[in-house]
Amino acid sequence: MIRPTNLTNTLMLMLLLGTSATLAGALGMLLMSSVVVVVYGTCIGPLRSRLSGNNLMLASLLLAATLTSCANILAQRWALQWQQSIGIYAGLIALQCVVLEYNGFFRQAFAQRLKFFGLSSGLLLALAVLRELFGQGHIGRGLSEHWQGLVLFSDGLHLLTLAPGAFILLGLLLAARQAWTRSNALPKETHHP
Amino acid sequence: MSRAAAFVALVLLAGAGLGLTYVGQRASAPQIASEQRLLDSRRLLDLIAPDAYDNQPLEQPLALTDTTLSHSTLLAGYRASKSGQPVAVLLRTQTEGYAGAIELLIAIDANGRLLGVKTLRHNETPALGGLIGDWPNQWLATFTGKSRNAPDDAGWALKKDQGQFDQLAGATVTSRATVNAIHDALRYFDEHRATLLGSGS
Repeated sequence: MIRPTNLTNTLMLMLLLGTSATLAGALGMLLMSSVVVVVYGTCIGPLRSRLSGNNLMLASLLLAATLTSCANILAQRWALQWQQSIGIYAGLIALQCVVLEYNGFFRQAFAQRLKFFGLSSGLLLALAVLRELFGQGHIGRGLSEHWQGLVLFSDGLHLLTLAPGAFILLGLLLAARQAWTRSNALPKETHHP
Repeated sequence: MSRAAAFVALVLLAGAGLGLTYVGQRASAPQIASEQRLLDSRRLLDLIAPDAYDNQPLEQPLALTDTTLSHSTLLAGYRASKSGQPVAVLLRTQTEGYAGAIELLIAIDANGRLLGVKTLRHNETPALGGLIGDWPNQWLATFTGKSRNAPDDAGWALKKDQGQFDQLAGATVTSRATVNAIHDALRYFDEHRATLLGSGS
């Protein structure tokens, strides 16, 4: 059952905007959230056939919270420096799982899920690259301990490193996409007999 | 599923989740602690060249006495040594800045000369006093090489206080607090040289 998704999808915006400050943070968060979502998807199957409604939401919340906590502990163990800079957003992965469950994401066909995953990770990475490049002037700092990143500018627009700048950039990207799809659709509309 | 069965299932799920998280936390705690120690040592010990010492200074904090100094308080002390001979002493002090406490890490070599100063925590105004938080730091680097005797006690002040040190532009209180804290640390090192350097020279 597909429910109206606009308002609930805005809950996923926090994770997108918070972790896209740097490329290293975004890549790590992408890895962590995809692992958690995949494991969650496999585990919720048997529960979905036995529970329904509010009980299913509660079960999905418990499962998502458990998986996110375990993923957080593993991230602390293997990548402590990354976890200390981005780890406060790790808890939002559980929220993302529950929102996706509410929207019926896990019951869609595999191709659709893959398309959604591709689009959302593309958006996250695009935001991260733009924000780090124009906000700080370098790309890739934090990916390795010895590499300072590809430094292209000495300074950047500080606004982009903050959340309001991220909102503005997201709005600009959406407007650009609108303009692109509209310019592609235009030729089809003018040929009217 | 009946309500009772669903309730039991949820309780079991909650219990399993809590148990799994607890077990995971307990199993990973030692590795996380050692990673944290590694990160800390990299952050705190980059004042001294890595090949100048071969012990683990942060593992054996020194026992300090009389830690309340005239303008600051000593929080901790560490000794870096090479082949048993003390190479440097790291003192962690806290002083009152313009908008809260400033925590500094001061590295003094065995002869009482400053190796470097680093700011660990501060709450100062971002573009004014907050410049002490940058690393590597141009202003803090001007203290390297100074000691208790060079400049003398009267020289350990800002230029506007008839001393020798420039201040950060627009941050008199911050600069004064930092200069006083460093001078305090050097005086403390002088007075407790034997304890701080240990059994070495």
